[in-house]
Amino acid sequence: MRDTQEAVLAEMRRWGYRYVVTPTLERLEVLALGLDADVRRRLFKLMDADGSVLAVVGERTVSVARLVAGALRAAPLPLRLCYAGPVLTNDPGRFTRRREAYQVGAELVGASGPVADAEVIALAVRCLDAAGLRRYQVDVGHSEFFLGLLDGLALPADVEPAVRAALAQRDFVALEALLAGTPLRSAEHELLLRFPALRGDASILDAAGALVRNRRSERALEELARVHELLRAHGLGAAVSLDLGAIRDFDYYTGVIFEGYGPDVGRSLAQGGRYDGLLADFGRPAPATGFMIHLDLMGEVLRRSGVARGLTRLDAAVAWSGAGLEEALRLASSLRMFGMRAVVDTQPRRLGAALEWRTALGASHLVHAGGGRTVAWAPAGAAGVRRLPAAHVVARLAERGR
Amino acid sequence: MISVAIPTGTLLEGSLDLLRRAGVVDLGPEEIGRKLLVEREGLRVVLVKPADVPAYVDHGSADLGIAGKDQLWESAGGHYELLDLGFGACRLIVAVPDASPLADPRTWPPALRVGTKYGQATARYMAGLGQRVEIVELHGSVELAPLVGLVDAIVDLTQTGRTLRENRLRIVAEVACSTARLIANQASLKTRTGAVQALVTRIREVL
Repeated sequence: MRDTQEAVLAEMRRWGYRYVVTPTLERLEVLALGLDADVRRRLFKLMDADGSVLAVVGERTVSVARLVAGALRAAPLPLRLCYAGPVLTNDPGRFTRRREAYQVGAELVGASGPVADAEVIALAVRCLDAAGLRRYQVDVGHSEFFLGLLDGLALPADVEPAVRAALAQRDFVALEALLAGTPLRSAEHELLLRFPALRGDASILDAAGALVRNRRSERALEELARVHELLRAHGLGAAVSLDLGAIRDFDYYTGVIFEGYGPDVGRSLAQGGRYDGLLADFGRPAPATGFMIHLDLMGEVLRRSGVARGLTRLDAAVAWSGAGLEEALRLASSLRMFGMRAVVDTQPRRLGAALEWRTALGASHLVHAGGGRTVAWAPAGAAGVRRLPAAHVVARLAERGR
Repeated sequence: MISVAIPTGTLLEGSLDLLRRAGVVDLGPEEIGRKLLVEREGLRVVLVKPADVPAYVDHGSADLGIAGKDQLWESAGGHYELLDLGFGACRLIVAVPDASPLADPRTWPPALRVGTKYGQATARYMAGLGQRVEIVELHGSVELAPLVGLVDAIVDLTQTGRTLRENRLRIVAEVACSTARLIANQASLKTRTGAVQALVTRIREVL
């Protein structure tokens, strides 16, 4: 998982995102500024010595927002920030008992519009690549499309909350019953009922455009079309689909939203979108978009698809016997200077035992210093042992390491 | 390959019949009952306990599932509930012993003790009424609980009301109605859109 995290953070750094450390514990009243009641309830809480309630963060976007409005308030916008760390929530799901998760994410604060949206989506896709995921699918949608439909339907005040709730629970049976009870039937009704199927390539935008009758949804479709174009310019084609039926927290997201799915995993691996309202809650109004990757879920997928790197591979196991210890220490230092990973044995071992030790460690090369003028070198992937001066072995290994 | 989780018990025949009529797969209850997992023509059918269908679908081990609405009340999962399949109708009701003085909600005591397998649905319903409630979670023979004085009332499923009558219980309120539903894993709808939607359409057409 560490490797995956490093790879993802390295990709974020290549895009100019600065790593920030956000606190794990926050005052509940501070987190509460950016979280709705249901999310708040699921946070782990504890009491400070002065009686105030602290909470363990359940996600880190709110913490980043606080940082931008607080410690970084003098920094000019836009800011590109990334983070990684554990989060804790009481998951209400009956089947997921996991409370601690590990998330790595990026936020682009202070930029609005399709260019910023496309940048963050493209970055997310590149991060999935960097993590080593071979097959994935990223779905891009727009929260305003749905909200526009709701406006357009002009539902009675007592029905609208129920419609929102049914959609939030993805309960289309209840949704159909609710809409059947309303007097008007329009193409927009149909769109709402067809929500899970409103997914595909750019042609879905035209198809939906022919059916919507409200300005808010139309604007969302225009923005999506632009983001889709820009993503192509970013070099992303096949991995990205458009999903007008993406159902997310519509009170939080204010624009383009997206989710990344891997093979054979029932949940999304990455999710993100535009949340232009959050920063204002912390006193520095600014548009913002970002995403996060569920690192532990990603680890599971990688493991299952055989891509997972196990423990970090060692380049060299350096063994010694007799008077060879000092030579072994010098040799290992040189190897490390060339950027290789080397372990020096803590006890003397004869060459035969050292070969077994190398296998147990899982190191590529074995070098054995016995105190003579040459050292024994058992190269990776080749049988037999060669005897060379230590400096030559270092040179050979450094060459192979390139 | 698309996989479908179907439930053992009362919904099994209706589920198999539906899949047959939709031209999805023709399976007999004996065959699936014996094997629990059948793969045929690019489709995998798994037979699981009714309460487990949402778990299989939410985790993505099944792309689609057939589950009684009564199972979905209890789990706010991440699945899509796509279709009301119509069969397997039953009601979730509040029942009290024949001899009890309790009748409609207005006659209930300030704090009602209720025995049920459906804690979540009961809690939601009672909260909606503004009725304070103490829920005793039971796992079987719920009808027995009020007869021996464990609870004032039960909340349980009934199809015909026969079991209730046999246990000298009478219905005083209805909480909800349940029928079989088609549910889908959220990621399956994204990563296997074509195949999953095609199957859903075939089922929708024969409803």
